[in-house]
Amino acid sequence: MPLFTSSPGLALPFVLMLTLSGCSAMRSYDNELKQTIDLVGQGQLDQALTQHEANNTGGDFDLLYYLEKGELLRLKSQYKDSAGAWMLADRKVNEWENEAKIRAGAILENVGAVVLNDKTRRYDGHDYEKVMLSTRLALDHLSAGDWNAARIEIKKTHEREAIIAEINAKDAEALEQESKEKGIATTFKDLNGYPVETLNSAEVTRLKNGYQSAFSHYLAGFVYEALNEQGLAAPGYRQAIELQPNIKILEDGLATLEARTSLRKPAETDVLFVVESGTAPALSSVTIPVPVIVSNLGVIPISFPVLHSDPSRTPQPSTLGIDGKETLPLAGVTSLDTMSKRALRDDMPGIIVRGILRAAAKAMSQKALMDQGGGAAIAGIALNIANVITESADERTWRTLPATISIARATLPSGKHDIAIGGSKQSIDIKGSHAVVVTRLLGNQVYWSQPAYGPHTPVYAAPVVIEPANDNSAAATKGTAKSKKKKARKPVQQAKG
Amino acid sequence: MYNYSNAFKATTIALLLSGCATQSPTLSSGNVEYGDSKAVETLTNEFGSTDLQTIAESMAGSLLQSAPLTAKQRPLVTVADVKNRTSEYIDTKSITDSIRAKILKSGLVRFAVDTSAMQTQVEELTRQNQTSLYKKSKSKKMGNMEGADFRIEGSITSIVKRAGDVKDVYYKFSLQLVDNESGIMEWADEKEIRKTSNKSMF
Repeated sequence: MPLFTSSPGLALPFVLMLTLSGCSAMRSYDNELKQTIDLVGQGQLDQALTQHEANNTGGDFDLLYYLEKGELLRLKSQYKDSAGAWMLADRKVNEWENEAKIRAGAILENVGAVVLNDKTRRYDGHDYEKVMLSTRLALDHLSAGDWNAARIEIKKTHEREAIIAEINAKDAEALEQESKEKGIATTFKDLNGYPVETLNSAEVTRLKNGYQSAFSHYLAGFVYEALNEQGLAAPGYRQAIELQPNIKILEDGLATLEARTSLRKPAETDVLFVVESGTAPALSSVTIPVPVIVSNLGVIPISFPVLHSDPSRTPQPSTLGIDGKETLPLAGVTSLDTMSKRALRDDMPGIIVRGILRAAAKAMSQKALMDQGGGAAIAGIALNIANVITESADERTWRTLPATISIARATLPSGKHDIAIGGSKQSIDIKGSHAVVVTRLLGNQVYWSQPAYGPHTPVYAAPVVIEPANDNSAAATKGTAKSKKKKARKPVQQAKG
Repeated sequence: MYNYSNAFKATTIALLLSGCATQSPTLSSGNVEYGDSKAVETLTNEFGSTDLQTIAESMAGSLLQSAPLTAKQRPLVTVADVKNRTSEYIDTKSITDSIRAKILKSGLVRFAVDTSAMQTQVEELTRQNQTSLYKKSKSKKMGNMEGADFRIEGSITSIVKRAGDVKDVYYKFSLQLVDNESGIMEWADEKEIRKTSNKSMF
């Protein structure tokens, strides 16, 4: 079936689509999120949430709405609410997985329907966002003290990565074939005027792909180790090393795994400090004239997405202080900034082919109207104006994700410790055999998480002693639960001094 | 002479009985089907259910024929760590659980709790002895756990190679039986698996 026809009837779908999808076609996601992120950077989380709700009305919320909402609630230390929002996002990603498994290899089949711009497509999320969703859900469960729920999300991360790899391989094959058949060059290096250097740096090309992160796999190793599953912890640490080689903390994770298990002491906690900085890069649209050889249409302006690194310009701390005595180096193990660039680099062939085919379809229908003359020619002019107005790249991306993730690890006596990061200090109560302490730096704010009880992995030398149940201890337990609940409601947040 | 009354009774009883045996109604959207859990799975070349079953069957069969287990009267064995030296998230405990289940069915061996179940064991004994909830005469005493005669330990390794459109994965699962008292390795065996796939399955 020919992809393009010169039927003037094509104008109707364009006009209809423009009317129906007017909001999504003209939406500037970057502008919307800039305001929300500015509020987070000033410590105004409630206002940021209100702003986010105001930007998303109508009830039929998309994946991005839940992704951003989950992150804002997480910053407020409302881990259960955050997990609730992210579970709804996860359901949408599951739907995508089920559909994508069936349609894998048919990457261009919707091109005829996508007549305006990529913004009108359903937002399915970038691959690294889908994987990061599971990782961040795991962090929510860890912050709430539910290590088994975190394990479920960690396992989902591996399964999701495998599905993405399979779908991407089939899509890449189909795209290559399609572009060859239509004679479309898919390399972004030929786009005269596109900031090629943003996608061509050594750190971007060095990444294995755009969706697997060393942090996700190191966290997997840590969670499995905490749950006494060394057989699963080892590949977690190993994959983290493979994704980011020559980082000491990642290498130590695997090298000392067996020793750590045997050296574990009952009153000590193995603490993983996770320090997240800034926000994921913003996407904007750049319009470049591209020669379209399909149907000899000449040079047509087409819009492409361009990434802009962390607009909040939050500095990434290099050390972490403990009790004013010890200083630990923070190792940058994952850059969402670099990952998103790698993801865009890998997506560019598809974006180019879709853009060219769409531009050709628009030009053909416009030409058909103009050729008819009279009233149809006026419709052709109107269509041309509509095409110029709506030609814009998709700016949607999960903006509240951090730009970078750094980690440090230490075995500390269980109890309260003063932790200092980036000019901010916080007393953190660390309990259990393992704990994860997450800190987020954004703008001039530092958001701390108070870890809930960690797991109790076996230390046979001194088994856990259960005190006899009596009224006093029951009351004490009640009091602890109540105070814990109270703590969870109040976000720990400081402005940097 | 044929007794119609008896025939009627028999038919009624048969109907009633068959009514009881009627299968429950099936609720189905038509999109979900049960499959054969033993069917050979080659969806991807990652470690899968068929690999797990093959390893468990091979190792359990070999172990049950080994001299230490057949010579001694129901020796006590424990499962130690099976180290995962691959980059794949292979649940090695699931493999050893399958091997243990197959060996236990033979009745030749008893198993002591392994390290992963020790915490539960300790907590149970602690609860029975230190919470004042149990009758002293009925609670299981501490200090009566039996040490295993042998331990099963091992490792799984893999070599992954890619050449052009072909991906080759080689797995080697090694298992050994060690006498806990003497430290002598009494038995060892290996199971090798090779899987090759083309690009579309990477």
